[in-house]
Amino acid sequence: MKEGFRQSMAWLHTWSGLVLGWLLFAIFLTGTLAYFKAEISHWMQPEVPARAVSTDSSLALAQGYLQQHASGAGRWFINLPDAREPALSVMWQGPVKPGERGAFMEKLLDPATGSEIQARETRGGEFFYRFHFQLQMPHPWGRWLATGAAMVMFVALISGIITHKKIFKDFFTFRPHKGQRSWLDGHNALGVLVLPFHLMITYSSLVIFMSMVMPASILTAYNGDTRAFFNEAFPGTNNAPAAGKPGVLMPMGPMVEQARQQWSGGRIGRIAVNNPGDENASVNVFRHSGDRVVHDFGSVISFNGVTGQLLRVSPEQSLPAAIAGSFYGLHMGVFAGPVLRWLYFICGLAGTAMIGTGLVIWLGKRQLKHAKSGVMPFELRLVEVLNIASMSGLVVAVAAFFWANRLLPVSVAERADWEVNSFFMVWALSLLHAAVRRGRRAWVEQLGLAALLFAAVPLLDLLTSPAGLVTSDWMLAGFDLTCLGSGVFLAWAAWKMQHPSHTRPSPQPRAERLRSLALKNEVN
Amino acid sequence: MLLAMLLCYAGFVALCLSMDRHHSDLLGRKASAGRRQSLRLGGWSLLGLSLWAAVAAAGWGLGLVQWCAVLMLSALLLVLLLPYGPRLALWLAALGLLASPLAAVAQF
Repeated sequence: MKEGFRQSMAWLHTWSGLVLGWLLFAIFLTGTLAYFKAEISHWMQPEVPARAVSTDSSLALAQGYLQQHASGAGRWFINLPDAREPALSVMWQGPVKPGERGAFMEKLLDPATGSEIQARETRGGEFFYRFHFQLQMPHPWGRWLATGAAMVMFVALISGIITHKKIFKDFFTFRPHKGQRSWLDGHNALGVLVLPFHLMITYSSLVIFMSMVMPASILTAYNGDTRAFFNEAFPGTNNAPAAGKPGVLMPMGPMVEQARQQWSGGRIGRIAVNNPGDENASVNVFRHSGDRVVHDFGSVISFNGVTGQLLRVSPEQSLPAAIAGSFYGLHMGVFAGPVLRWLYFICGLAGTAMIGTGLVIWLGKRQLKHAKSGVMPFELRLVEVLNIASMSGLVVAVAAFFWANRLLPVSVAERADWEVNSFFMVWALSLLHAAVRRGRRAWVEQLGLAALLFAAVPLLDLLTSPAGLVTSDWMLAGFDLTCLGSGVFLAWAAWKMQHPSHTRPSPQPRAERLRSLALKNEVN
Repeated sequence: MLLAMLLCYAGFVALCLSMDRHHSDLLGRKASAGRRQSLRLGGWSLLGLSLWAAVAAAGWGLGLVQWCAVLMLSALLLVLLLPYGPRLALWLAALGLLASPLAAVAQF
C-alpha cells in the first residue's frame, strides 16, 4: 500500500459503499417506514376503528371473549389498544401437551364492544419491519446478510469520516445546480449532519444481533450451550405448571391496576395468562416498551390468577443489560412520541438519501470519462440499471404494496401473501424496465410512476375505505397526506431528472474544467 | 422540545455566521475577528442552552435523545435553507430567538 492512509480509506469507502449500497438502500428505506409500522398497519386494515377507550374496559372485554372462546387454551395473550394500535388483540395457544406446542389463534376485537373485527388479511407495516432485517429470506440467512450489510455500513461510515477532509469547514455547505458537485455536497451534508443517527442506528443493529455475530464469549462461558445463556439473560416467568384441577380466573383489572402502581404510572403492554382455567392459573403483566428509552425485555409482574396474589416482580436490569437495552431502545424508537417519531423518520430518510447519493456519485464520476464516446462499458451500465431498480424501483414497489392492499378483493385466498408478492413482482418489473430503457428515461419514468401512485393514495383511500369509516381519524389522514407529500417530492425528482441543471455546452470553459478536475480528485 | 429546537437552530445560524465565507455570503460583508469570536461563543452557548432545555423538559434519558434529534434536524434545515432562502434562514433564527422566551414560559 503505497498511497496514503486517506487514499486507501477513500478506496474502501468507494467500494464497500458500492457493493452493498443497493441492499443498504432497501434496508434503510424499509427500516425507516417501519418507524410508522403501526400507522401503516392501521391504514392497511381500515376495518379497525380508532377509538379512545379505557384499558380497563377493554381488558374486561378481552377476558370475557377469551373465557367464552378459549377457555380450554394453554395460554392467552392480550395486547391492549393504545394510541398507535387501536385494536384490542387477543391470541391463544391450544392446550400445551408435553413435547409439542399448541397452535396459535389470533383475533382482533373492537375495544369498545368486544366483538370480533373482520379485518382484511395483511402483513401491514410489519412487512417492512421484517424485511429490513430478514430480507424475505429463509431463517438465518436474511439476518446474516442484513447484519453483514450493517457491518459494511459501519465500515463505510468510518472510512467516509476519514475521507472527508473538511468536515467543519464545509459543515454548512450545500451548493445546488452544480451537477456532480451538488451530489457530493448533498452526500457530505447528509452524512455529517445526521452522523449521530447513522452511527447509532448502524452500531445498535450490530448490538441487537450480537449473540449471532459474535458468539465467542457466550460459547466460551457457557461451554457452547447458547440456550443456557438465553435462559439466564432472559429468565422465563417460571410460573407453576397446570395442576389439572379447575379454577376460576379472577377479573384482571385489579391486578393490572396494582402493576401500574408498582411501575408508578407506567403503561401496560401485554398480558399473558398461563393455564387460564386451572387452579394454578398465573397472570403475567408486561410493561409497555414505549415507557422508557432503555428497553427492558423482562419488565414483568406476575400474579396468581385465582387468588390475585402478587407472585413476583422482575428485578431491575443489570448494567450490561441496560446498555444493550438502551441501544435496542434507541434503534426501535418505541418510546418516541409523535414529534420525535417524525424526527426519527426524517433521520432515516436522510440515511437512505445519503446511500442513494453515494451510489449516484459513484456512477456519475465514472460516466464522465465515457461521456464523449457515448458508449458505456457493460459494468457501468450494470451499475446504472441496479441503481435505478434499487432506488426508484423500490419506491414504486412500496406504492404497489399499498395499492395491492386496497385493490385485492378481501376474499382472495392467501391475500396477505399476494400483497407481498405484488411488492416483489413490481420491484422485479422495475429491474426489467431499467434494463430495457435508457438510463435517464428509466429514471424519469419510474420516478414519475411512483409520484403518480403516491399522489393518488388519498384518492384510493377515499374510494376504497369501507363505507362509514371516513371519519376524523388523524392517523389515516396523516398517512394520506404523507403519501401525497411523497408524491409531490417524487414528481419534483422526476422533473429534475428530465431537466438536468448541469448540461453545459462542450467545450467546457477553462474555469469549469479546472473545477471539475479538482472535483474528480476530491470525489475519489 | 420546541424551546430546544428554537435555541438549536439559532445556535447553528450563529455558528454559520461565525465562518468567513458564510458571513459574507449571507450579509454581504466580511466580519471582524471580534465579531466572529462573539458569534462563535454565542452559537456554542445557544447549543448548550438547548441541551439544558431538552434535559430540563424530559429528563436525561429522553432529553438527550430529543436534543440529538433536534440538533441534527435543525442543522439539516439550515443547510437546506441556506442556498434556497438565505434571508428566510436568518429571519427564522431571529423569530426563533424572539419566540424562545414564550416557549420557555410554556415549558416551565
